[in-house]
Amino acid sequence: MTLQQQIRRNRLKSGIVIFGFVLLLGVVAGLIGAALDLRLGIVALVGAGLYAIFAMISSRAMVARMTHAVELDPDQLRPLRRLVENVSIAAGLPTTPEVRIVDDPSPNAFAAGLRPGTSYLGVTTGLLRVMPKRELEAVLGHEISHVRNRDTYLMTMATIFAGVIALIADIGFRMLLYGGGRSRRGGGALVAVLAVVGLLLAPYAALLLRMSLSRRREFLADAGSAELLNDAEAMALALRRLQLDTTTIAYADASVAHLWVESPTSRVETERRGVLALSSLFDTHPPLEARIAALEESGGFRLPEQLPSDEPFAAEVGLA
Amino acid sequence: MIWLWIILGGLALLILLFGLGYNRLVRLRNEADTGWSNIDVQLQRRTDLIPNLVETVRGYAAHERGVFEEVTKARTALQQASTPGAAGEANDMLTAALGRLFAVAEAYPDLKASENFLRLQDELTDTEDKISAARRYYNSTVMHYNNGIQSLPWVLVARPLGFQEKEYFSAEGDTALPQVSFTPAT
Repeated sequence: MTLQQQIRRNRLKSGIVIFGFVLLLGVVAGLIGAALDLRLGIVALVGAGLYAIFAMISSRAMVARMTHAVELDPDQLRPLRRLVENVSIAAGLPTTPEVRIVDDPSPNAFAAGLRPGTSYLGVTTGLLRVMPKRELEAVLGHEISHVRNRDTYLMTMATIFAGVIALIADIGFRMLLYGGGRSRRGGGALVAVLAVVGLLLAPYAALLLRMSLSRRREFLADAGSAELLNDAEAMALALRRLQLDTTTIAYADASVAHLWVESPTSRVETERRGVLALSSLFDTHPPLEARIAALEESGGFRLPEQLPSDEPFAAEVGLA
Repeated sequence: MIWLWIILGGLALLILLFGLGYNRLVRLRNEADTGWSNIDVQLQRRTDLIPNLVETVRGYAAHERGVFEEVTKARTALQQASTPGAAGEANDMLTAALGRLFAVAEAYPDLKASENFLRLQDELTDTEDKISAARRYYNSTVMHYNNGIQSLPWVLVARPLGFQEKEYFSAEGDTALPQVSFTPAT
């Protein structure tokens, strides 16, 4: 499969997932409406909409706070900024996203922001200290691809959707259990049982959708980086280097886990089988091994056993 | 009567499809034009930096006329290039000429230590990186656009509708590193 095909396939799949989201939201609101009161269902939908808008407006600042990303002295970051500029020119972005630094020894990076114009990249100090320039550029390419493909937009929306569904399902469930008795209409028993089951499962379904969306996008962004830099091997090398690293982000917040280049919390090293395979449905990222294999297949190369021992970027440009 | 409706419906569908396809071609063309203006900005920046560089080097190595002339000639060719293909060629010529200029500069320790020279050299390296990044984007947009107008049914009507094929900026990927031949000062 070529990179182009992979990108097209991933786009189609995420379209399906988004459709699933909207459907789920409709089902939850419908269940509330059917089991309790039609007006409550409408109120739930409108409330969900308002909450989503508020979350969208404040998402940019929220992400910065949750990831502990700070802006730095422009002079200090100049070489890094240049790299970001070059990659965003190659991606044809109208503006270069700004760069923020997360002071953390674990190598990782993320992209945030709803539109390309207001997006920014977060890079840990660990990433600069571990990656040589070529691989750092590949990681930046991965993040820029997220921005270009509107992944950051999609993922922010997905996070908000999942949160909204969990919230209204929770409220609906409580009302049904403790206060809903009198407003139940005829033939209510079956509807009520269905509603309880549906409302109980809805948040998990939303979470599942959110995770699978994130995992698709990771493959897409890897492919995007390889295409932007015309260097699939650099991306694979960078992923291998991340795989060898065993540190995790200190301030890893589960609600922004999907933004990072690799999962900042748990480690997904191998494919799990049997019952354990089910638990992988909740991972934010596909296993690094699977991502490397996808790059090797599309780029037609094999990673060497030994990683190149090039000088890390931070040392090369004299960053502390 | 029913046949009339079927024909009319078919026509409407055809017009709709045609409109959608046409909009796609326009979007592809606009993307390629934006891609080109990205390159143009960087080429402009590069040509703006050169007179300054030449003056700086001349201050230390006034007798290296051959190299200066070569750089100036390449710069003029780049400014006068009217098509992406010609600009690509002129740009490669300029890269080669600058390579020689920097090789010459190696022989002048004072020049190499000059703050101004180092800054210009750094700026030019950055511009070259950006040109090659912009080239990757432009060439990919041109590829998509050309594929679009060369495939059916657009290949039949692309020219009458004003869609011309676009030239790549330098046909074969990134240019190889310039052959830096050290010309000792005589």
